[in-house]
Amino acid sequence: MMAGQSLISVDKLTMRFGGLTALDELSMTVHEGEILGLLGPNGSGKTTFFNVLTGLYKASSGSIFLDGENILGKTPQEIYRNGVARTFQRSRLSLSLTVFDNIVIGDYQHMQHGLIFNLLRRKAFRAEYDVYVEKVKALLEIFSPPLVDRLFEPVDSFTMIDRRRIEVCRALLSQPRLLLLDEPSAGMTHDETDELMQDILQVRRKLDKLSVVLIEHEMNVIERITDRCVVLNYGKKIAEGSYVEITADPYVQTAYLGEAA
Amino acid sequence: MKLKETMTPAKSAVMLSITALVLTVYVWFFLHAESQISIAILLVAAILAVILSRRFGATLLVEQSAARRPRLSRWLAVGCGLALIAAFYSSHFVLLMLCGVLLYSTACLGLTVQFGYSGVANFAGAAFFGIGSYATAVLASHTAIPHVLVIFISGVIAAVIGSLLLLPVLRTRGHYAALVTIAFGILFKTFIEVNDVLGGPQGLQVPGMNLFGFSLNDGFSLFGLEISFYVPYALLSLAMFAGVYALVNALERSWVGLSMDVVRTDETAASTFGLHIVRWKVIAFTMGNFFAGIAGGLYGMIIAFVAPNNFTFGDSLLMLSIVILGGLGNIAGLIPAAMIVLILPEKLQFIQEYRFLLYASLVIVILLFRPQGLLPRKTRIFFAKKGS
Amino acid sequence: MSEVTQYIFNGLMLGVIYAMVAVGFTLFFGVLDVIKFSHGDTLMVGAFAGLTASIVMMKIGLASPALQLLAVVVFAVAVTGLLGAGIAKFLILPLRHAPPLNTLLATLMLGTVMREAVRLFYPDGSNPKPFPALLPTSMVELGGLSLRIDNLILLASGLLAIAGVHLLITRTKLGMAIRAVAQDGETARLMGINFEAVVLMTFALGSGLAALAGVMNGLYYNEVNFNVGLLLGVIGFAAAILGGLGNIYGAIIGGFLFAALQVIGSAMLPALIPGIPSSYKDVFAFAVVIIFMAWRPTGLIAEKSSERV
Repeated sequence: MMAGQSLISVDKLTMRFGGLTALDELSMTVHEGEILGLLGPNGSGKTTFFNVLTGLYKASSGSIFLDGENILGKTPQEIYRNGVARTFQRSRLSLSLTVFDNIVIGDYQHMQHGLIFNLLRRKAFRAEYDVYVEKVKALLEIFSPPLVDRLFEPVDSFTMIDRRRIEVCRALLSQPRLLLLDEPSAGMTHDETDELMQDILQVRRKLDKLSVVLIEHEMNVIERITDRCVVLNYGKKIAEGSYVEITADPYVQTAYLGEAA
Repeated sequence: MKLKETMTPAKSAVMLSITALVLTVYVWFFLHAESQISIAILLVAAILAVILSRRFGATLLVEQSAARRPRLSRWLAVGCGLALIAAFYSSHFVLLMLCGVLLYSTACLGLTVQFGYSGVANFAGAAFFGIGSYATAVLASHTAIPHVLVIFISGVIAAVIGSLLLLPVLRTRGHYAALVTIAFGILFKTFIEVNDVLGGPQGLQVPGMNLFGFSLNDGFSLFGLEISFYVPYALLSLAMFAGVYALVNALERSWVGLSMDVVRTDETAASTFGLHIVRWKVIAFTMGNFFAGIAGGLYGMIIAFVAPNNFTFGDSLLMLSIVILGGLGNIAGLIPAAMIVLILPEKLQFIQEYRFLLYASLVIVILLFRPQGLLPRKTRIFFAKKGS
Repeated sequence: MSEVTQYIFNGLMLGVIYAMVAVGFTLFFGVLDVIKFSHGDTLMVGAFAGLTASIVMMKIGLASPALQLLAVVVFAVAVTGLLGAGIAKFLILPLRHAPPLNTLLATLMLGTVMREAVRLFYPDGSNPKPFPALLPTSMVELGGLSLRIDNLILLASGLLAIAGVHLLITRTKLGMAIRAVAQDGETARLMGINFEAVVLMTFALGSGLAALAGVMNGLYYNEVNFNVGLLLGVIGFAAAILGGLGNIYGAIIGGFLFAALQVIGSAMLPALIPGIPSSYKDVFAFAVVIIFMAWRPTGLIAEKSSERV
């Protein structure tokens, strides 16, 4: 629960799609090591923010600083290599590939991709492969032990909940500095959500200074896990502070519940 | 998946050996058959056998055995090939057909890497095959470069031309790349035909292969038997196919194959995990065309001449039919599919004329009702259990 | 002077035909996000249907050019309209949820099936067949140039057909439904539009247009050939891409642009490289298209795609 230095610094970020302004001069900070809740009604720009941050969209104006460097305009690949990993609101896994395939690709930057290594030096490849199998199994042990025995089954034979867990494992495998979670608990029960969050915290304890930005609608989770929250509405930041502070904020209440009668 | 435990290494070996024997004998009969009736009987027998074996779980056992002992499976397959070549040692025609099947399958291995793994559609497979043949024709006729190197260079030339073609459009969506390869596939024939340097419509002659001073085109005799001069060529084709197969197999079971699959299935997610989309597509496309090129080069030497008419758009579509029929992404299905597409019309003369019509219709039916093809692609198993 | 006009006129004729094919491609892409690669061969089937109609008309003694022309056009458009709708219903719609390359592949194969079917089953199908000359062939003076009336009629009809399609798309209820489905099929369905019916109508429309182009092609060159669809299809596809897939104006521009490239190629190349055969104009035109696509991958007018992340 410590507020470290600023990891991500967003300055007047604007994203326009034709006539629609999805992000409107958004300014905010993500501190190193914190768990930040990103809240707001549907359509307030939360996922758009993730997409701009990870380089999938090109912002119309403004800047995002990571380690003091403006990352706007960088490719998703470059941003990933800077230690940013994410999950997707609409779960994006390769359904025909195995659990192992889907998770192990999360650490793409550390794998050896050379053709000679992969095609001809099979013994060496086998060694690297075995290491990764252990790593993936270790992660799965935390998030979903039954999956460890089913490591080489195709992902489409698993439930939605398990698939979300697999996606979180994929994001965590590369030991990122910043983890972006987009509604990871959608469709889960109360207990499953709790479990997921505990598992994430467990991994976080082992990783030095993992920062998390969490898009969530489940208020219990926000209350218990996050250090701070930022609330968006129509692409603008309307509140910032601890859970207690933002839930007391009348603007936030209006945004979620509509004008008081 | 617990069923795997019932197939021990020993049982698997037995199962695989029996399967290999049955398949070899069947293919021997098939290649030997002359009359239409015997072909018809063989076809019906095959269909019945497949249906029955599926019903009684024999197919599943064979699959598990193959998964349990992959290396043995491969050696048995090579053994089948050698046995067939030996059995037909004096039949020029059958050996030529076998060469065709093996070399077209080699090119289709390339198409599988491009289309099955990376999702890059190549509608000009026959054109790259043809580039290999032409390159070999020119280099073997006009230079003193050793022939094995000539074939290798032919592959490189095919790969380079392919990359030049595709690089501009790889950043865009699939159908733009498709247009480029379709246009190339159609125009390749035009381009070659009008070029008198490359022999025009008549084509060029290709000298026979000269390996370590031994000219393959002269026949030889062994133990007093007249051995067809196609036998060494068939052995070379088998070696080429086996080598490329091993490479592609290793590729699929490696980070390269995995990356290609992820790029194919979800580019957006792939990019957020650092995968270089364009790089993998280029590698796949280049590699695939290299394989098509070397196969074409060897094929040119075998049939001793190259002409534009052998590498039409229809031939490219025929190659795609093989890839789809066999099961997109499953390289084990290529040889059976190639036999169906290439040998069946030779045996059933009356369908020769209807080849393109037939196989195009077959692909449509497959895409509509069984897009996974004859042998659906399995999930990736990097390494079988110990003791294979 | 008259050689240049000959070139220009040729280019215009080709451009109109390419534009008609390209419009079909772009309509299908707009409505279903699919590339229907058999479109060129649909054109060929239309031409052959027209040919059959004219033969039948002559057999039953109604040989007047006007009646024949009517029969040819009506029959060609009807047959291909039905064919197009059939293809949509039995091949394209079922493959909607498969990877898009599957549809491209399937329709490519379908084009082969159509080509081979005509080659094998139409009497003497593998040889080019003469197409009757059904238009008046007198000359007319226009601004100091001598032009053939039949060519003028063809050009005018082509332009009229394209204009007609444009009007239909922009001014009629059906057109509005097509545009709605093209923009967002799901929402259009929710708004009460019969998705499947609109799709079938779009395919019928595009195919009918292709049939018209096929008949025009036959009248202009006085022959039809089972092979004509393949190259026309690829050119139509290239033209549609050139102008920006999904945009009808783009398709029209693309069609004329490609024709212009071919004309320039066939005029320029022999001057640069003596003795070069005319088929190199296709190589030239496609090479330019490919280079253009390297610069502007989504065509002159950008593609309408948007993917939800």
